[in-house]
Amino acid sequence: MNAIVDVQNLTKVYGDTTALDTVTMSVEQGALFGLLGPNGSGKTTMIKLLTGQVRPSGGAATVLGLDVTADPVGVRSLVGIIPEQETPPSFLTAEEYLRLVGAIRKIPDTEEQMAWWFEYLEFGDKRDVLCKDLSRGTRQKLMFAQAFLHCPVLALIDEPLINFDPIMQETVKEYLAGYVKKGNTIFISTHILEIAEEICSDFAILQRGKLLSTGRVAEVTGAGRHLNEYFLSLIRKGGHV
Amino acid sequence: MFEFFLSMMKEEWRIHSTMFGSLSFALYPVLIFAIAFMGAFLLPLIRPILPFGDLALVTHALFLLLGLMIGAFGLLMNEVMERRFGQSSSLAYAARSLPLSERFIFLNFVVKDTVYYFVLWVLPFVAGFAVAAPFVGIPLTVPALLLLTLSLSFLTGLAAAFFLSIVYTRSKWLFAAVCVFIAAAAVAAHLAGTGAVALFLPLALFRTFSWETLLAACAFVIVLAALSIALMRPASAARAKHHRDMLTPLTRRFSLFPYPALAAKDCIDLFRSGSAVGQTLFSFLLPLGVIWFCLSLLGPFLPGYSILLLFAVLTGVIASTMYIWLTMFDSFGPYACLPLSVADVLKSKICGFAVLQLIPAAFIVLVTVLAGEAAYLLPALVLCLSVSFYGLAVTVYLTGLSPSVLLYDPRVFVLYLLAIGVPLVAFIALSFMNPWYAMMSLVLPAAGWWVARRGVAKWDRKEVAGF
Ligand SMILES: Nc1ncnc2c1ncn2[C@@H]1O[C@H](COP(=O)(O)OP(=O)(O)O)[C@@H](O)[C@H]1O
Ligand SMILES: [Mg+2]
Repeated sequence: MNAIVDVQNLTKVYGDTTALDTVTMSVEQGALFGLLGPNGSGKTTMIKLLTGQVRPSGGAATVLGLDVTADPVGVRSLVGIIPEQETPPSFLTAEEYLRLVGAIRKIPDTEEQMAWWFEYLEFGDKRDVLCKDLSRGTRQKLMFAQAFLHCPVLALIDEPLINFDPIMQETVKEYLAGYVKKGNTIFISTHILEIAEEICSDFAILQRGKLLSTGRVAEVTGAGRHLNEYFLSLIRKGGHV
Repeated sequence: MFEFFLSMMKEEWRIHSTMFGSLSFALYPVLIFAIAFMGAFLLPLIRPILPFGDLALVTHALFLLLGLMIGAFGLLMNEVMERRFGQSSSLAYAARSLPLSERFIFLNFVVKDTVYYFVLWVLPFVAGFAVAAPFVGIPLTVPALLLLTLSLSFLTGLAAAFFLSIVYTRSKWLFAAVCVFIAAAAVAAHLAGTGAVALFLPLALFRTFSWETLLAACAFVIVLAALSIALMRPASAARAKHHRDMLTPLTRRFSLFPYPALAAKDCIDLFRSGSAVGQTLFSFLLPLGVIWFCLSLLGPFLPGYSILLLFAVLTGVIASTMYIWLTMFDSFGPYACLPLSVADVLKSKICGFAVLQLIPAAFIVLVTVLAGEAAYLLPALVLCLSVSFYGLAVTVYLTGLSPSVLLYDPRVFVLYLLAIGVPLVAFIALSFMNPWYAMMSLVLPAAGWWVARRGVAKWDRKEVAGF
């Protein structure tokens, strides 16, 4: 199997906090990979490092064979990204924002892709409303469309379902499952373990920047065992170290 | 409800101090105190050239301008905060979900701005002057009166900015009518022989104190503020409007740009935020109006072309701040999901800036012709645009994508003043010798090119904060 994401001793220090501490892990092609951990464990930092938004303090990472420090723009042109917090530009309409993304990524069929997403996530009625006047849920839909507009072979999504209602969560889960079936790879971060157990094929658990465990979800669940029990036992152990 | 006000004050401090470091931010009042203190010692030197009354006029006009600009900036701040820190972080914004009326929040907002900038700007200035006053033989009643009248000038500016911008969002026609009315009042006062300055109550109060004038000046501020609050429209009423696609046609129009779509986006930001008109008025025409007025006081001492070229230089400095217009609604965050580097975004902004320079260019043409100095159009234009592009380069080098740092970080601000001031004084001196020497300022854009390239490389290496 090919490693789509390969991380070696990756470290990120902000002032006196070590957000990531010598993490080594990899993600194979076709995986729906879940990066798990409590708040502040370094998940967002990992995604920012992998997409070249911040630079590592130590170690190295390659994404789709490109070194994230040497060629961050190259990495970002290949992957799709949904950040945790960023919102689309205030004064563009939803439609204009997607056209902007299409123009910068040089996507030939922006209009078709856009029309499909408006229909699929049911927000076509908001296409000509300014982003600043959109609800959180609709903004998140727009961020989804933005990330998948160029059908990337790898998408990195920070807390994907957090702003969606239960029905939309199902739609999105289905989409992600279907997307990896086509041979693409998805990398999500979440602190909601039920979601991870339901949709992820592989996982890694972070706590205070350290990698506690990584493996296949199927290996630690099943036969009445759940991911959250495994997670809690690890975290408790980690807490005593 | 006082608690709400206090938390807004705290928020303001927190925003500024986390953005720029609380120590360097606290240095601002110290800097202003020092300027006023040293300025006071220059008074005996200046007095033979510039009569005391004119100096008072200039000072009051500057504080009026300060109020106007801070008022305009404060109203935009909510939008800016929303962009930079995410939707929920501005308290005034979050408070919309609390059971508080829009008007109440706005009132708090106004009071907060007033108190905050009063402590930051007005008080240190007067204090600096007051401490120096005994040494230069000025009675202490002058700084005491100054504290009152400068505060009133500042408040008049603040209230006028709130009033004008609320009228503008209400109705463009009403806004035009108000502008015409102000102009007509100024002309009428001028014709009546009292001079337009007589309408400026805080100054009239400084010249001759009377309780009636004090009352009138206070009433003016209160009436404007009350009208603004009465005219406010709840934000929810203006929501969810539908807009037609402007991006596609604009992208086509900017096809020669490095990133046509980014240029189109900046253009749309300017129009939809209302800052195309608002900024041109408050951050360009108004300051220049005040500067022109101050310079015209030099009329008896300098030939017409020197005043014109001096004005061209200052227009260039103001024009270089148009870079702020292009960056105030942006954080790098949304770009960071796209295959763009900081350098790409900076280059795109610089191109947008070049287009905006049509405004100062047209303005200088107009002023030169109106001043009857058309023979010196070319040097004036070259000087203005050279200074502007050089100023842009220095701004890009010092501040990258967040030029508003200049307003808050005195360390950066002093560097900026030095980098801009030294060459400017040189070119002003040259152009006074012979107006055509101003053409030598063409070396400024050349130097600017070099500085800007280094700036772009510098910020591209840096990790962008606020991700
Ligand atoms: N820009 C930053 N500056 C300083 N500390 C940061 C910054 N970003 C994250 N951190 C710190 O790094 C740690 C990991 O944060 P983050 O990656 O956001 O965690 P998670 O996404 O798992 O909640 C936290 O302790 C956080 O406070
Ligand atoms: Mg996070």
